Amino acid sequence: MLEIKSLCASINGTEILKGLNLSIKAGEVHAIMGPNGTGKSTLASVLAGKEDYEVTSGEISFDGKNLLELSVEDRAREGVFLAFQYPVEIPGVSNVNFLKTAMNEIREHRGLPALSAKEFLTLVKEKSALVELDASLASRAVNEGFSGGEKKRNEIFQMAMLEPKLAILDETDSGLDIDALRTVAQGVNTLKTGQNATLVITHYQRLLEYIVPDFVHVLFDGRIVKTGGKELALELEDKGYDWVKA
Amino acid sequence: MMGNLIAFREQLGDTRLAMPEPLSREAKDGIERLASFPTTRDEAWKYTRLARVAALQLSPLAHYQQPEPSECSETIDVIFEPHGWFCAAPVEGLIIESAGNLAPEDWQACTTSGHVQYLNTLAAQGGACLTIKAGYEIPKPIRIIHRAKGENFAMVLHHQINVEPHSKVQFELLYEGQGQEAYANILVDFFIAESAHVHVDKWQNTQGTHYGFYNERIYQERHSTFCLHTLTVNTHFTRNDVEVFSQGEAAHTKLYGVFLGGENHLIDNHTFVHHMAPNGSSDENYRGVMKGKAAGVFNGKVKVYQHAQKINAFQSNRNLLLSSAASINAKPELEIYADDVKCSHGSTTGQLDALALFYLQARGISKEKATEMLVGAFCAEVVESVQSKHIQRAFAAYFSS
Repeated sequence: MLEIKSLCASINGTEILKGLNLSIKAGEVHAIMGPNGTGKSTLASVLAGKEDYEVTSGEISFDGKNLLELSVEDRAREGVFLAFQYPVEIPGVSNVNFLKTAMNEIREHRGLPALSAKEFLTLVKEKSALVELDASLASRAVNEGFSGGEKKRNEIFQMAMLEPKLAILDETDSGLDIDALRTVAQGVNTLKTGQNATLVITHYQRLLEYIVPDFVHVLFDGRIVKTGGKELALELEDKGYDWVKA
Repeated sequence: MMGNLIAFREQLGDTRLAMPEPLSREAKDGIERLASFPTTRDEAWKYTRLARVAALQLSPLAHYQQPEPSECSETIDVIFEPHGWFCAAPVEGLIIESAGNLAPEDWQACTTSGHVQYLNTLAAQGGACLTIKAGYEIPKPIRIIHRAKGENFAMVLHHQINVEPHSKVQFELLYEGQGQEAYANILVDFFIAESAHVHVDKWQNTQGTHYGFYNERIYQERHSTFCLHTLTVNTHFTRNDVEVFSQGEAAHTKLYGVFLGGENHLIDNHTFVHHMAPNGSSDENYRGVMKGKAAGVFNGKVKVYQHAQKINAFQSNRNLLLSSAASINAKPELEIYADDVKCSHGSTTGQLDALALFYLQARGISKEKATEMLVGAFCAEVVESVQSKHIQRAFAAYFSS
């Protein structure tokens, strides 16, 4: 589904990713771990198409398409979803209106008819229950005044609504207490099918107790330096990142 | 010497209104004293160049005849068309007459200043005089509609609105139509008596190279309230001057506005609130959004007179620039001569929040639509309190086009 080859990316002239390779197939859960400042969030931003980052070389193909040629919105419409580390507050834009617009633009791209108001509300009810998101939050402005936990639930709620092929969870565990973490993880696990894939970016092993990865990659200095199964995460937790640096 | 004002005044023709002699004299002397259009060295016109206005070749729009009644169910309409004007059959408590029928002594006392008002006094072709009788609440909004079309016309109107004590009324002032190298100078005076309540929604969406000068002067007596929303979209050249004389105790004023400019448009909003009596308040909130090479101006002046204690005056102006060639000039001015008042103002000008834009796009929303949503949200605080459903719909329609 996703093939990243020799990806190099920089921000403001500083190279962050230095020849990263990664291959993800449908049905798989991958975790990327690594110390701070090694390029984890850069990878997430580059995949989503954030303009601040410049891809200097390498390729990313997604379902056979050249992802780097697609605009931010077209990537989303093709099925790439980034759950933000810091979800953005947007005063004045209601969550419901935002999601409805997003869903209908994605549906239009896929040649599907727009949802009726009733169909949409039924989905909102069903999917917000999945992450135990208070239904009243749906009518509030996007993320405005939400607690840290509510913001993260809202990300997974959006993911549930938009049904992406590839979900990238960027430090979704940061700022979550254990109950919220469990709820969010359960939401992600429920959404898992044989046709979609998940890329979990995290600093800690904790989240991986709930979202069990098929592969764990260690990112260090802009490259993947080690790949293994779920036991690699435990080993890292035990020995620390110095162990891979060495 | 730029733009001969005397020659400009002559091409507008003489007024059809019987103005009080002192006012006419004041205006005539004023024009002669100024002799030419103000330049950007003049503080009131610092950001608004008048060279293209001064060069206009104009002839007066048709004379305004006696009004003819028109029918409309949801609103009470007063319609200014090029060849006459029409009004609804009056409802109880409302008197509509032609300003042309007013004797000099029927014009309520006011003074004029500046070339726009002088020209209006000397060349007004007509207008409506509306009176809301004491104690009446007018059940439907009164719309005053201006829809001239054509080239090189000058539309100069002076409306007088008398709102008697303890009455309540809602107005919509609509400025639409299409003009090429055209000029509009429309003055509306509101005399709001004790404990009367007035809400005005103003919609400006003229097409073409139409140069519009709009003045509202509001005289408020004690315990009265006045609320104005000015929505200006996509007009070539618009100058709004709103001047409030809050002369009675505990009078409350709200002035809100949204102005959206594109291409090489100019939209200039000037407000001036005189707090002349104690215990009153004013609240201003203007939002400007400029794209293309558009220029916007907000100049908000508040003067608190010496005996006007316990005044609460608040002013907020926020602007968005959507392109690097667009500009905004914002200037708050506070003059305070009383010692026990609360006055504050804030002004910001910035760009669209890039992170918010990215967030929306990352959910599959196109950049255009995302921009529209963010600009809509930026204007929402003001637009939501517009009472006219018609204007809210017109704004939404403009927005999604």
